[in-house]
Amino acid sequence: MTRALRIAAQVARILLGVIFVAAGVLKSLDVAEFARQTAEYHLVGPGAAALLAPLLIAFETTLGIALLLGWRPRLAAALTGGLLVFFIALEAWGLSHGRTEACGCFGAYVKRTPQQVILEDLGFLALAILVVFGIGTWQAGRRRLTAVLTAATAVVMLGFAIASPRLPLDPLVTSLKTGKTATDLGIASRLPEEGPEGTLVAILDVTDPVSKVAAASLNALKEQPVPVSVIALTPSTEQEQAAFLWEAYPAFDVIPMDRGLLKPLYRRLPIYFLVREGRVERIFPGPRPPEADLLSSKAS
Amino acid sequence: MNNPITPTGFAGARRTFGIAAAALLWAAPVLFLAAVTTPAQADTITCRPIYDFCVEVDGKYPQDARFLTSSDSRGKHMVDIPSQSVTYLIDMPARKAVSIPRANVHPEAGGTVKVDTAGSGTSSYALEIEGPVLRFQTDNAKVRVLKVLDRPPVVGPIGMDALLADRIEYREGIKTYTPDAVAIDAIKAWKKPLEIEAYFATWCPHCKMYMPKLLRVLKDANNPNIKVTLVGVPKNFGMEKGPWEGKNIQGIPAVMVKYEGKEVTRLGALESSVPEVEIAGIMNAIK
Repeated sequence: MTRALRIAAQVARILLGVIFVAAGVLKSLDVAEFARQTAEYHLVGPGAAALLAPLLIAFETTLGIALLLGWRPRLAAALTGGLLVFFIALEAWGLSHGRTEACGCFGAYVKRTPQQVILEDLGFLALAILVVFGIGTWQAGRRRLTAVLTAATAVVMLGFAIASPRLPLDPLVTSLKTGKTATDLGIASRLPEEGPEGTLVAILDVTDPVSKVAAASLNALKEQPVPVSVIALTPSTEQEQAAFLWEAYPAFDVIPMDRGLLKPLYRRLPIYFLVREGRVERIFPGPRPPEADLLSSKAS
Repeated sequence: MNNPITPTGFAGARRTFGIAAAALLWAAPVLFLAAVTTPAQADTITCRPIYDFCVEVDGKYPQDARFLTSSDSRGKHMVDIPSQSVTYLIDMPARKAVSIPRANVHPEAGGTVKVDTAGSGTSSYALEIEGPVLRFQTDNAKVRVLKVLDRPPVVGPIGMDALLADRIEYREGIKTYTPDAVAIDAIKAWKKPLEIEAYFATWCPHCKMYMPKLLRVLKDANNPNIKVTLVGVPKNFGMEKGPWEGKNIQGIPAVMVKYEGKEVTRLGALESSVPEVEIAGIMNAIK
């Protein structure tokens, strides 16, 4: 085995490790979205996808850490290659069945087409093969320590992926921030004329039963003397919006928007925010609309 | 000790009567005030048209049939089919459609109508909901309200006027777009032959947002040097044979700009795109 091949394999190991850690961490920021994207392949249902998503994220990150630390690098690279073959097969299957949405390989915040995803994965697979066949018997010293660190990564990442939806990470990972304009957020053309105290925007997943409760609360809010106009935006389909209209009787407009446009604004739904003079003034995380806050702000 | 013998039953009844009379005296003004200040049961509702929905009558889509929704009465909608002598008030909570005489419907500005529901209820029909589709059967017609995207799609080449006549969402969509006047003037002034070939889908939400803007621009520019070809594509256009084949269409709408028979570029065709500015820019670059 030449020295050049060994060096190339070491570079590939580190590169692949960084890529897998980055992919795992990015996915862990929005586990629900990764689960949704997984379910879109229709190989597993939404419930199973929700269970599978944290496991996949933890597994991916652990492989990345194992590669970076040099703990059993050939085994880690072989498992990484296997995972990549699975991803490629999944994407190719989706593509052959007319699926055009980019996969969630780098979380919800990096968008690529399925063709780009397959090409990238093939590149990563080449790196994994290089590690398996080029690294020889090398592995890092302090084997016990690296083993402990790899195992700890698995546990920590699994815990983080499970807890992530409840952690206050929204300001870090979404573009919805106070002070941003409706134009910045790409929703300006959808907002109604502002009331004297602005527009309360709700982002609802109308397929979620919680949205019916939210609609009832928003309806009640509209009946109060709160001088705000109310609108709901939804990443759900037009058909789902129609069904919601027949079932929930919203007294406000519910506007379907492209998921790609809305997704950067939230991690979990429902979420509410007040737009005043074209800018986001306050953000109210769900699940219920901020009736008390709006009423008290009126009173003050 | 002598106990005075008192007619306690009678005294009790007198006391009760006294309290009741006093209460009534106090309550009377309150009841009177409530009666005069409480609004009577609202019998007029305001409805505005929603062009995301269409009305199917016996499997056909009458051109002016509209679906309207109430902005002041929750869960109430209206179906207006001009060819019929009555309109229909949809009462979602009661799960029924009620016929309303046309005389009770008063048009206002912007397509809004005021509906006097006082004389309604001459006939009522059970509503059925199938996911996104609302259905009821009147004495003489089967009516369905569905998303415009769920109508059978336009497939193949279609003229602009025919498209606008057929699709209410496009017809109304062009009314709401105000193109940039400077860009329109530039397009109007274009003297060389140019072709715009648009592949779009009536089932596609992006096309529903973008195409009315493009059509409005082409209508306003009204330049005979610009040849416009509109082609509707089916849902699985990647697998179906048709004029969209071999055009390298990865997504729709795909709007090609051809000059001297060759494709020079494609328009952005995004929801936020400003087609007139883009077209004027392309013309400026070709010049």
